Amino acid sequence: MSSEVVDFLNREVSAAGAKLMEVEAGDAPVVVEAAAIKDVCFALRDSSELSFEALQVISGVDYDESIEVNYMLASFSKNKEVIIKVILPKDSKDAVPEIESVCDVWKAADFQERETYDMLGVKFNNHPDLRRILCPDDWEGYPLRKDYEVQDTYLDMEVNPAHKINQGDFDFMTKAKLDSSEPKKITGSWKGHVSTEVADALKRKMDSLKSAKSE
Amino acid sequence: MEFVNESQEKIKSDLLTVNMGPQHPATHGVLRVEIKTDSEIVSEAIPHIGYLHRCMEKHSENLDYRGVIPFTDRMDYLAAMSMEWGYSLAVEKMLGTEVPERAEYLRVIIGELQRIASHLLFYGVYAIDLGAFSPFLYAFQDREEILRLFEEISGARLLYNYIWIGGVWNDVDDDQLRRISKFCDKMEENMKKYHSLVGMNKIFRERTANVGVVNEKMAYQYGATGAVLRGSGVKWDLRKDRTYGIYDKFDFDVPVGTGEMGTLGDCWDRYDVRVREVFESIKIIRQALEGIEAGPIMGKVSKIIKPPKGEIYMRTECPRGELGYHLVSDGKAKPYRLKVKSSCFTHVSMLGELGKGQMIADFVATIGSIDIVLGEVDR
Amino acid sequence: MSAQKEITFATDDELTFGKWLNNIWVGLSTVLKGMGITFKYIYNVKPVTIEYPEVREELPANSRSRLFNDAENCISCYQCATACPVDCIYITAKRREMDAPALKTSDGTAIKLDLLQYTIDTALCCYCGLCTTVCPTECLTHTTDYEFAQYTLDEMKYDYLATDIRAWRERIVK
Repeated sequence: MSSEVVDFLNREVSAAGAKLMEVEAGDAPVVVEAAAIKDVCFALRDSSELSFEALQVISGVDYDESIEVNYMLASFSKNKEVIIKVILPKDSKDAVPEIESVCDVWKAADFQERETYDMLGVKFNNHPDLRRILCPDDWEGYPLRKDYEVQDTYLDMEVNPAHKINQGDFDFMTKAKLDSSEPKKITGSWKGHVSTEVADALKRKMDSLKSAKSE
Repeated sequence: MEFVNESQEKIKSDLLTVNMGPQHPATHGVLRVEIKTDSEIVSEAIPHIGYLHRCMEKHSENLDYRGVIPFTDRMDYLAAMSMEWGYSLAVEKMLGTEVPERAEYLRVIIGELQRIASHLLFYGVYAIDLGAFSPFLYAFQDREEILRLFEEISGARLLYNYIWIGGVWNDVDDDQLRRISKFCDKMEENMKKYHSLVGMNKIFRERTANVGVVNEKMAYQYGATGAVLRGSGVKWDLRKDRTYGIYDKFDFDVPVGTGEMGTLGDCWDRYDVRVREVFESIKIIRQALEGIEAGPIMGKVSKIIKPPKGEIYMRTECPRGELGYHLVSDGKAKPYRLKVKSSCFTHVSMLGELGKGQMIADFVATIGSIDIVLGEVDR
Repeated sequence: MSAQKEITFATDDELTFGKWLNNIWVGLSTVLKGMGITFKYIYNVKPVTIEYPEVREELPANSRSRLFNDAENCISCYQCATACPVDCIYITAKRREMDAPALKTSDGTAIKLDLLQYTIDTALCCYCGLCTTVCPTECLTHTTDYEFAQYTLDEMKYDYLATDIRAWRERIVK
């Protein structure tokens, strides 16, 4: 199915540069040039042999050096589906890549592009109303990026305050190690989120034990 | 806008902004629709969503493949089995796992029962939206029986975690299968009764016919699926057209809107499609109950699930429309990315265009007829 | 009102006398049909609800409700904590001394670690049942208790090494 789309795109849209992506499992997406995305979508929608009437979903995937935007298209009359993939290079961590909006092609793209903008920080040019959709308007950062860190405060409210999470239980193993004469015998299911002073105290204790042993 | 009153004076009117929701009972959850009204007529409707946003997609990036299933339950909490099924199918297709025959049959039976339960809820709640209270109680009486059965089978009433990667969690005994068959007989009778109680009622017809018309072109433009697409007269059902599981073994029809009471694609058509789908589901369950045989319920799945590198887009037909999972795997024990295509999200985006020019009361009927669950919209 | 659609009402069609009569007939007949169905529910209908505090429902045997860990059979394998999707299980254990008397669970598995902490925050728990299915000694189980409302969040945290919670064992473990 996907190879048929590749042939069609290379024939119809000169700037598409479509090629099939190799995958070990699952569906093989069709990679196209970012600049040609709107022409590609118009061609796929209006062609009589493929007629992809509907845009199912736009799904962004964040990688280290790029953000991929996937357009899942479906044809009801021809019973076909295809994944069109666009790879947008990302220069730095906070960079917001840009791509042309396909709202003119399918109205479904309106909400889908807003979601991709909200979650992954991809700017869709010429979108009629590009606002955040799921997060509040004044939220910082793009949650689905791999390097996302949640903000400390939101509207003067502390995000994840210590008394709301089970800090005592997180610290239990570290404290038990502090109290014990043989801290190495104690293990636990929980790692991380330990309060800094307890963690530091344990580190000092382990260092002193090590030095005592070497002496 | 300018009017001329009785004494020939010019008066100017402005649009009034009304916030419908997020706590409005007719918005089916925490949906807020910002309505600019011109007296009783909606001149602009802007849906605002995100009140139930939990970012399940980010959560699933930090969980192993089995741990995602409880999170998928919580998207569409009224059809949790269908949510699990779609996810399990996506992972199974990546892994190339064979699902045993009995598990496939059980999935079909449970999935169709879930569809009936979900449509019953739609039927009851839609009647409430339009001012009829008792159908809600009838619908819940029958839905309760399904939920009780699910509780015995899976251990939970609403969020099941029953369909696992490679099969199903728990077996169903013969007694329960007999009860399902008995329930189907009863449900068929009842649904006919309920349909004549509400669907044929003159008041209900006046409220829904010619209201909120989604024509075929608009359905395609917005990527509508499920009962909304079928209500517009498009014969499209993934169970039939892109068969998954063992749906190819069963004989059933795909109900489409007829435009019998008004225009094709109006609220009544969408209601009608859902009611007729209940009968089709009963037909499927009966065939599945005949075909089911004893056997294992869990396929061979390794303890730590690691699909090969690649990506997949798996679509399944849920009670509310098509559910798609875009799963990207990097060969590790956690999904690299899991994007959920929710049909309710797509349908909410139609509200802006559907609402324009409607009366406020008709707008309520329109929201009810597209049957959204905000847990799935916001994920 | 510039970009608005023309609103058409169903009543805008020309209303003839025949149509008017037909409307009344359809309205009356369908409403009466519906009322007929409703009236059938007046007599001989079994109540579907139960009067809760007086009558308590027995949940099905494999119902997934309150968690119970039988600490005497626990071998501190951490599998439940690893499987938990919401990370609400906290376990700490200490390796047993070499010369300490050998302990065994009821199914014969040797216990090599002493539990120091076994806490489940049931306020976070999502009752998915993943922890109970991985438990090798089947000491962690879902019970069918469903009444465990509390006044404060802290009371929702169950320390399964505390004596009052260990006392449930007599009722639950058979």
